[in-house]
Amino acid sequence: MKTSRVRLAATAMVAAFGLLLTACAGGGAGGGNTDPTNVDPDGEITPREISWLLSRPADGGVITAMKQIADEYAADHPGFALNLITTPDRPSYIQKYETLAAANKLPELFDTDATPFAKKLADQGRMIDAEALLKGLDIYDDYRPAALNYQRFDDGSLYMVPFEFQLEFFWYNKALFEEAGVEVPESLGDFPAMCTALKEAGITPIALDGQDQWPLERYMAYHPFRTAGPEYVQQLKKADAKFADDDGTAALEWLASLGEAGCFAEGFSSTGYADAQALFTSGKAAVYNIGTWELANLATESLDPAVRDDVDYFTLPLTPGAVTAANEYVTPSGIGMAVNTKTFDPLMRDFLAFALERYPEVYAATGALSPTGVESTIPDNATPLYARAVEQADDVGEKIAMPWDTQLDPTSNTRLQQELTLLVQGEISAQEFIETMDAVIAENGPAAFD
Amino acid sequence: MSSLLPNRSKTSVLVFLVPPLLLYGVAVLLPIFQSLFLSFFRWDGITDPIFIGLENYVRMFVRDDVFWISFFNTLSYLVICLVLQLGGALIVASLLISLRRARELVKTLYLLPAVISTVAIAFLFQRIYSLDPVGLLNQFLQWMGLGQLQQAWLSNVDTVLAAVSIPEGWRFTGLYMLIIYAALLAVPQELEEAARLDGATWWQVFTKIRFPYIRPVWISTTIIAATYALRGFDIPYLLTNGGPGQASELLTTYMYKTAFTHTDYGYASAISMFIVVECLIAVGLIVLLLRRKADA
Repeated sequence: MKTSRVRLAATAMVAAFGLLLTACAGGGAGGGNTDPTNVDPDGEITPREISWLLSRPADGGVITAMKQIADEYAADHPGFALNLITTPDRPSYIQKYETLAAANKLPELFDTDATPFAKKLADQGRMIDAEALLKGLDIYDDYRPAALNYQRFDDGSLYMVPFEFQLEFFWYNKALFEEAGVEVPESLGDFPAMCTALKEAGITPIALDGQDQWPLERYMAYHPFRTAGPEYVQQLKKADAKFADDDGTAALEWLASLGEAGCFAEGFSSTGYADAQALFTSGKAAVYNIGTWELANLATESLDPAVRDDVDYFTLPLTPGAVTAANEYVTPSGIGMAVNTKTFDPLMRDFLAFALERYPEVYAATGALSPTGVESTIPDNATPLYARAVEQADDVGEKIAMPWDTQLDPTSNTRLQQELTLLVQGEISAQEFIETMDAVIAENGPAAFD
Repeated sequence: MSSLLPNRSKTSVLVFLVPPLLLYGVAVLLPIFQSLFLSFFRWDGITDPIFIGLENYVRMFVRDDVFWISFFNTLSYLVICLVLQLGGALIVASLLISLRRARELVKTLYLLPAVISTVAIAFLFQRIYSLDPVGLLNQFLQWMGLGQLQQAWLSNVDTVLAAVSIPEGWRFTGLYMLIIYAALLAVPQELEEAARLDGATWWQVFTKIRFPYIRPVWISTTIIAATYALRGFDIPYLLTNGGPGQASELLTTYMYKTAFTHTDYGYASAISMFIVVECLIAVGLIVLLLRRKADA
């Protein structure tokens, strides 16, 4: 009897100790905030090391600026440190972040696009409401509306903070255009003729990084954005619209015609990012579709003198009867930063207040376009094109051509990227593409957006 | 057991055998059973898993064309790898036996690719196959006056599968060559000499004496090479990521994408169960085929 009582007491003690440990662990993870709209938690600011899991170039403007800002903050808050864990390769990053999310091990800050997966995290209350946060810090109105809109989910909710603002242009080589006797295309329909003429002159019409898939997927987004607006892909991804519809069919016929006209270099599907850019900057390819994040390589003296003065750009051409305006095209604000609800505490709020206030100025000083309207510093070695591209950012329309890879469910997206390559290579017809993709989206889309 | 180890007690045998067996159970069998369990669910990793019975298997066998394309690609990949690895290894090992000098040097040279990291090999072959800038293979064709055969080997749906299989075959040829070479060394010279004196041709010596002698080693080597090839993943994934289209998609790359890009862990588990069964069947077939030949 006595031994059993002792045993009982021992068990109770072990259980109590266990509970205590669990409680401590919970406390260590930042108080275990559960309310994504609670952007002003009570308590004292206790400096500690925080982490940001991100997908940006290691020596790029965002990381450089944030390192500087974190150092400034740490000077006033001993014990604080910002640990930046970057995986620039986007597919690898997404795998890492989704696996961590599944294990419930996401750090204080993490990057994500407005994908279906991110929406699920937001619906589970695992990301702080960014609109409430920015309004709480009184900086919401500083942001370019387009930069914020790019980060929103379809229902208009905002859970990610933008750190960049980019415009995607068609860069082209004036000398090569002249050599082939072609003009800047006025409509998307002019592309095939442009390609044919360039090809006949022995010039690679368009440099394309086919290995990374997303650059070709941009071309998929263009035609429907002009003929049906940004709503098309929002409906298509839920199988409410189909490729078999007029807008889809027209887009695919256009894409097939680009392939037939030999717009992209032979072997484009195994050409990487750097090789594609080299095709353009070495004067071999006439057109290159890329964003302002490459300004330093395309509009400064670091560009080969032989092509430097021949480089110019045009924005996404219209289609006859286009429903979107000429100043509306792909204007992303990059992958956004989400704030983990569970670890959001007074320190996180205080650091973000400091960092987001300071960031635009530090970032714009590097010559990049800030997500707020702060004026960018044009580098000393810039060509006149640089300032022109930067100015263009102030004349951007409301609607955004969203990159489709952030819109579709991942299964449909993978298949779409594969079929697109086959379509442009002429391995399948537009009709085969339509049949395959409508079936794939019908199987996977509605389930992903429930 | 006791007859094999007459001086050892059952307990001491168990003490030594159980820990590795437990480790194997935890590291290999447990994940397989977990996958089997997960394959009956729909699960994205963050929401609650939903039990859907055999739905994942129905989808895999009936509705998913990519699965079947990947399966047949995997078989082609297996054949190319086996021919290169085993055929190549046997030829090189036989030549090595007849080599009088510099055997060690040749062995080391052949073994070298097996030591280089996969990422480096993938990068190397990306350059070799490249069309613009012109890679080694296309340059070579140009020199041979076969310029019309130049192409982007990794972008052409007809050549890409062979193009991603060859690096995998090439890199391990040396390793299997070493194993077969060791086996060939053990073939008694006097038997071969006696046969030659009796007028046996080179081919007869090989088929009647050498090959029967190395058959046990050959079976093990084939099993190792076949299971490795069936699990092949890294080089195709790094070189083309399964593309263009699904032309170089293997079951393994497809499973990986399904799990980690599509976050469809249930369906990926169903595919992985198929891979497990496929490997077991392949090994069974190889053992059966080669044993039967040995009996005949």
